[in-house]
Amino acid sequence: MKSAIDITQTVKNWLDPENQTLQKAVEKTISEGLFSSEDIQHQLSVLRGNVENGDVEEWVKRAGLTDEKNAKDKKVLCLHAGNLPLVGFQTAIGVILSGADYYGKLSRKDPHLLGSFLKEIQQANIGQEIQFSTDLDSFENLEADSVVFAGSENSVPDVKAGIQKRSAAKPNATYLIRTAKFSMVFLNKWNEEIKEELVEAMLRYGGKGCRSVAVVVAEFELDEVKEELRTSIQNFWKENPQHQKPAPELKYQFAYNEGIQRNQLWLEHFLIQETEELPETDFTVNWVQGDEEIVRALRMKFGEVVQSVYTAGSEIERLKTDPLSQAQNPPIWWKPDGVDVIRELIR
Amino acid sequence: MITSDSIFDDSLSFEEKVLRIFEFQKQNNPTYQRFCDALEIRNVQTPQEIPLLPIQAFKDTEVITTAEHSTFFQSSGTTGMERSRHYLIEPELYHQSIIRGMQYFYDLDEYVIWAYTPGYNQNPNSSLIWMLNTLIEREESGLSKFLELGKRLDESELDKIQQSGKKLMLFGAAFGLMDILENHPVQLPEDSVILETGGMKTHRREITKEQLHQQLAKGFGLPQTQIHSEYGMTELLSQAYAQGSLWFECVPWMKVSIRDPKDPMKEVENGEEGLIGVIDLANLYSCSFILTGDKGIQREDGKFQVLGRWNPQNLRGCNFLINHD
Repeated sequence: MKSAIDITQTVKNWLDPENQTLQKAVEKTISEGLFSSEDIQHQLSVLRGNVENGDVEEWVKRAGLTDEKNAKDKKVLCLHAGNLPLVGFQTAIGVILSGADYYGKLSRKDPHLLGSFLKEIQQANIGQEIQFSTDLDSFENLEADSVVFAGSENSVPDVKAGIQKRSAAKPNATYLIRTAKFSMVFLNKWNEEIKEELVEAMLRYGGKGCRSVAVVVAEFELDEVKEELRTSIQNFWKENPQHQKPAPELKYQFAYNEGIQRNQLWLEHFLIQETEELPETDFTVNWVQGDEEIVRALRMKFGEVVQSVYTAGSEIERLKTDPLSQAQNPPIWWKPDGVDVIRELIR
Repeated sequence: MITSDSIFDDSLSFEEKVLRIFEFQKQNNPTYQRFCDALEIRNVQTPQEIPLLPIQAFKDTEVITTAEHSTFFQSSGTTGMERSRHYLIEPELYHQSIIRGMQYFYDLDEYVIWAYTPGYNQNPNSSLIWMLNTLIEREESGLSKFLELGKRLDESELDKIQQSGKKLMLFGAAFGLMDILENHPVQLPEDSVILETGGMKTHRREITKEQLHQQLAKGFGLPQTQIHSEYGMTELLSQAYAQGSLWFECVPWMKVSIRDPKDPMKEVENGEEGLIGVIDLANLYSCSFILTGDKGIQREDGKFQVLGRWNPQNLRGCNFLINHD
């Protein structure tokens, strides 16, 4: 597909470390305090790796996208979240690769980075409509055929009402709603490499992505690795200073755990606690001692809010797993909520 | 040292009692002590500086000031579900709180009590059933009772209540009262009061409190001002009441504040949503300072509304929020 080749080349150009437009977007994002330099550079480095590995071509193949089978002439409205840098990039490029016309409501929390890519795509004249704005009102009367956004049970009605009020989508538009909130990991062994991967998976982007590990099921207690983890986390923060600090509710949770004598690792700005509860708040990881059966049970209990279950190489019977090393370093064709956006649009 | 008698003693101000109970519980309730220590709470001068213990503690551990207890209350729940336990050290204190609390809002001697709930023998560990049993036993006409669930309300007994010169106070969970209307509709004497005790969600329906009150009023043939609500729970030994509106008022030894979920030490502005925090002095031997999991708002006069359960799931992960993104 020629357009896919053109798009890949545009992505490469945009990701070029010498690209002034991208550099300015990065600087603006940092100066406005939106994300840390380290998290942005990590994300860009992952994307560069994706492109160099041929991930875009691989995605086209996996999705079954061809000159005949595509989403050409479809209008797709994307409402991007802004919890981590370029979180909307995968959806945006997926929609553009599909051949659809892309209309992106960029997050006010991450307007510059994705915006700089979309400008580059606009200038490449790939024959598709590319429009973006941080204001949903810009898409009044758009009457999109499909809408893609990340939401939760509670936020969906408000978002749909907002879209309908503006006629931004057709009344019969299809909605692709991502509801995953966090990921889990199963650890049946422990070594230096796994420890480093776990720390990265928990702490990168402040643990705010749906690929971030928020539940650890390990065959050993937190106590057995607590001090090693503490040191490792502190080392991670030396290289990747925490961009945002948690709200006082985290200390409240720590105090509660002390009260009920729940085992925990308290790091002032991050908390790992032994509990099987749903991890609801940011900067918190729940640790459960258990085996594969517990992983399956928790996966089922938490349901659609779980994005991925990682392992350090092992497989879990009757459960799809991904390597822990890919938690914050996924291939570009990874499936949020198990759904391939391209495949969904050309279906 | 504060005693249970002084909880209801008007010669001490609420603030004085709060500070004394805080000191007592901080010293004698190990869970609360560890909680306060971890928050570095030292010298407290005002009630606002006192931390509220998350209500989940009653599920996760024993919230007690002494190992001796006569019984415990347990929240309802299905098999395998975690249930709260509230140990009762001095049943008389709960008894007093119930009677004095009801008397604060109603002239109790005017009422016959009917409870459309499971009976005491079926559920002796329910704090609500214990409360209803206390009210029924106290009432002297012999007409007060637990009603048989699923059965029609006996109209001849309603006549007897009217003939006795008393009024009916009918307690029931929201869905139970709706069941009466659906299966065996009946018009109550016009001076009756319905006291619904919560339980809005069932496997069959979910309606707003306002709709519920409208339907109950219409169904039982009463003005909406006679549809009242009780706000209570296993973890509290006092209750708040809403008399004919959605706004609850506390008894004098209980106080509600609305807390910022991101910083539970802080109260939110009046009219702003947050977590309902409760100071219940009747919880003398457990913990009087409770952060519930309920969402609420409060107005200037201290009255508050309960808006359901607080759901923090919006807060983590990728999530497009129309007013924030």
